[in-house]
Amino acid sequence: MTLAAIASLIVGITIGFVGQRSRMCFIAGIRDYVIVRDTFLLKGLVSFAVVAWIAFPLSGLIGGEFVGEFGRPVIETALLAIAGGFGVGYFSVLANGCPFRQHVLAGQGSTSSMVYLTGFLAGAFTFHAWVAPLLIGYLP
Amino acid sequence: MTLRPESRRATAIRITGLQAGVVMALAAVIAGSFFEVRPPEAYGICMSCHGRDLANWVTNGMFSTDLTVARASVVFPLLTTVGVILGSVLAAIMSGEFRWQKPARPIRSFSLGLIVMNLALLAGGCATRLTLAASAGDLSALVAFGAMAVGIVLATLLLRRRALR
Repeated sequence: MTLAAIASLIVGITIGFVGQRSRMCFIAGIRDYVIVRDTFLLKGLVSFAVVAWIAFPLSGLIGGEFVGEFGRPVIETALLAIAGGFGVGYFSVLANGCPFRQHVLAGQGSTSSMVYLTGFLAGAFTFHAWVAPLLIGYLP
Repeated sequence: MTLRPESRRATAIRITGLQAGVVMALAAVIAGSFFEVRPPEAYGICMSCHGRDLANWVTNGMFSTDLTVARASVVFPLLTTVGVILGSVLAAIMSGEFRWQKPARPIRSFSLGLIVMNLALLAGGCATRLTLAASAGDLSALVAFGAMAVGIVLATLLLRRRALR
């Protein structure tokens, strides 16, 4: 478990570095395509999905652990997933970037993004203190 | 480093979006398959869940509360979010792109962060993890990813219409 923490720190530094140099964002890929038909970041989103799709079974074959089973969505969890996913997309466009991009921007000195991250962490508390108890049993 | 920002910018490493996507996907899969960043499955990168784990773990330790923490973070929390900020600081300083920018609308930024975190935890992850879990075969994440794409397109079109008016 401590191994996981160290690994996640190294993964974080790697993707933070790469993300800063490439302006990678999982929201802006689709946004830029809709506005100006720019595919620079959309290629990143697509390559992320495709590489992950290939690498998950592959890493199981070369000695890692296979991805386990996911629970099948029922109507309640599917509705929550739709509401949550839609909201993440909509409000991330208003915030000018996905959560990953906001962390990167905070790292390069944008105080707006630092304020966003403060709200982000406060949101973790509000969710588990107030929102989750209302939805217990329906969360994915 | 005595180089001025301008000269550092000229020699800075350039990475395309496509390359970044490949590196991030590999990092996420390797972390999950070989370095115990699980369960839940497909948990390699998630800016909202890992941030939640870290914040809740610290709160639990300080105030002996019982806020939810994913099983991968019970003993020691995942530090992906801290790592991303460190990596970004490093890259920004190396390339001379680091500079303090004043917050334009702090209350708006704070509320958007709050809203996005709540909705992301509702959907089961941030934009990055929804993509990752959808690739790993999670139907619920695939549904959420589709809804996210619709949300992005709708918000973009509304912003464009407002800008053109």
